[in-house]
Amino acid sequence: MASPIEPLPADEAAVEHAEAKAEENAAPASWREYALAIAIVGAATLISLFLRPYLAATNLAMVYLLGVVAVATRCSRRASVTASLLSVAAFDFFCVPPYLTLQVSEYEYLITFAGMLAVALVISEQTTRIRAQAARAVDRESQTKALYRLSRRLSAQTRVFDSALAAAEVAEEVFGCPVTIFLPVEGRISFRKRTSGQLLISTAEEEIAQQVFDHGRKAGKGMERFTDAAATYMPLKGASRMVGVMAILPGAKGEMLRASQQHLLDLFAYQTALAIERTLSQNAADNARMQMETEEMRSSLLSAVSHDLRTPLASITGAASTLRAQGDKLAPGVRDELLESISEEAMRLSRLVGNLLDMTRLESGMELRRDLYPLEEIVGAALQRLEPQLTGREVAVALPEELPLVNVDDVLLGQVLVNLIENATKYSPPGSALEIAAEAAPGAVVLEVRDRGPGFAEGEEKRLFEKFYRGKSEGVRGAGLGLAICRAIVVAHRGSIEALPRAGGGAIFRIRLPLDARP
Amino acid sequence: MKPLVLVIEDDPQIRRFLRATLAAEDYQFYEAVTAAEGIAQAAARQPDLVLLDLGLPDRDGLEVIREIRLWSQMPIVVLSARGQEKDKIAALDLGADDYVAKPFAVGELLARIRAALRRAAPLAQDGIDNVIRFGDVQADFEKRLITVGGHEVHLTPNEYKLLQVLIKYAGRVVTQRQLLNEVWGPQHTEQSQYLRVYVAQLRRKLERDPARPRYLQTEPGVGYRLHVER
Repeated sequence: MASPIEPLPADEAAVEHAEAKAEENAAPASWREYALAIAIVGAATLISLFLRPYLAATNLAMVYLLGVVAVATRCSRRASVTASLLSVAAFDFFCVPPYLTLQVSEYEYLITFAGMLAVALVISEQTTRIRAQAARAVDRESQTKALYRLSRRLSAQTRVFDSALAAAEVAEEVFGCPVTIFLPVEGRISFRKRTSGQLLISTAEEEIAQQVFDHGRKAGKGMERFTDAAATYMPLKGASRMVGVMAILPGAKGEMLRASQQHLLDLFAYQTALAIERTLSQNAADNARMQMETEEMRSSLLSAVSHDLRTPLASITGAASTLRAQGDKLAPGVRDELLESISEEAMRLSRLVGNLLDMTRLESGMELRRDLYPLEEIVGAALQRLEPQLTGREVAVALPEELPLVNVDDVLLGQVLVNLIENATKYSPPGSALEIAAEAAPGAVVLEVRDRGPGFAEGEEKRLFEKFYRGKSEGVRGAGLGLAICRAIVVAHRGSIEALPRAGGGAIFRIRLPLDARP
Repeated sequence: MKPLVLVIEDDPQIRRFLRATLAAEDYQFYEAVTAAEGIAQAAARQPDLVLLDLGLPDRDGLEVIREIRLWSQMPIVVLSARGQEKDKIAALDLGADDYVAKPFAVGELLARIRAALRRAAPLAQDGIDNVIRFGDVQADFEKRLITVGGHEVHLTPNEYKLLQVLIKYAGRVVTQRQLLNEVWGPQHTEQSQYLRVYVAQLRRKLERDPARPRYLQTEPGVGYRLHVER
């Protein structure tokens, strides 16, 4: 006798709870579902017994059909079919006279039974099918969402390892189990190059991962090959090559993925592989371009440097050998001139070598040693260093007293000023005045070096800061590194530098140094 | 008596030019090519001053300073390359008196040598000198009176102390750490921003144009030097 031990299905929460539990313990399938089916049929029977005195027996069949609907909307097909059969039996037993037997007094009830059974089965079938479709739709939606999330995360990455890391993270969230991606090092899967910090898989499985990588077929736990491995290994196969292996470990309770998740996992692996492949080829292209640029740089550097190094060396050698060979025959004035040129050319050589070294250091990513300085001190030190070149020139310095401290590397910013001031002295007529001025701007300090030289040609503003670019001014010699160094240093400080024409003739070099950049 | 200078330098060309310069200035001159030889010579000859190159073939020049300082306070002037601020600071903190960056002009080198020799002269004269003059600045430490061009200037206690320390090392570069240590105390040696702010204030009070200081000169990345024209 079916007696209502279980709560009535009216209690939705309880049912959902039961269902969730059934989901969790997927293996010992559905004794709960059968119990629920029996309970609902029992409930229908109770209601029918209560209504029996007032209604015709055929109408009581409707109560049972409602019960079948209730079961079908919640339980598997088998449970609903069971409920259908039970309902017909219970209907016969309790509602069709003679009561409490399976015998039937009037044969027309056989038609009722047949109809009821047919309707109940159709309801079970349809309801479960609709439910399955709805579930699939939900699954598909969550898959789409998961894949979308993955592709968004992947598109933000520019490095192979970061792509792998992002993919592993998203996979862990979506599948709820630990995921590690192994990347190859020269064709070998390396357990050292992996995305997760702790190694949950023994290194003994490295060979399985390697095989998966070599053959491009899944293996490991739940697969045909290496079934007793600790993890499932998915090949990460891009459009043209293998890029790594994804290992999926069982979740906290040891469960593996459902079939629908397995499909999603395949898609995950493919998308990840494509992203990694794309990053790899992007990097390869970048490297090739950089190598080309480096090569070009090197050859132009060589030609510029060899010329600039040789010229002063030639003057020095020439002057020195003249002095040695013909020293006593030369007029004192000529001797002084030769000595002067030796000294000047040597200084020029020294500056050039200094610039080359600075440039090299800056380009190899020199570290800034920043601290807060009064700009006045840096300007003062630069002027002090240039004292010999500045004799006979007026230098007007206008630095407001309330100027905020700037957060800079004093030696490097000093170098910028030295280069700018030196440039100004080289390009402007001897004796013409220079101006150095600074002012506070919102969030920055703006510093200007102004001269009364010929300025620069229109369209030259940007090129001035390129390496080895020399202004068109005649009679000025230099390697074209000074302003390039200035720009490199200012940019390293997150500032900007620009050249502007000056009203009334001359050039202005303007540096903006942001104040908020903390060390 | 001619002052005795020991040159520890491995490059023969630089030794040659130093020899010529020092001879012309009437110094006695000894040479050492390696660190080991330099230390031995310093001990044997007891020179009045050591000119030390930091890039020696056998050992780091810094070790030479460390070793000499174990037993002597003889002035040491270091020859170093530009851009090697770290080395300069290390040399000064180990007890070197000053440095000259290569390539240098002879005038600069001789000025450094003279300043270093002057400081090494018997302390009795320097230490108790209570009135110091440089340019139009006069500092009377007995009366705690500082005047610029005859006008009294008021210094805060820290500015006064800072000036005192700079005068004590006049003509010589003093590292930021050294200044912070002597003015504010050993627990403040990392707070170089304060130092820079105080130097800026002192310049405003002593210099005609603080952006082109005549006396309180900056050695970028290293420290300060009170430039005293004599």
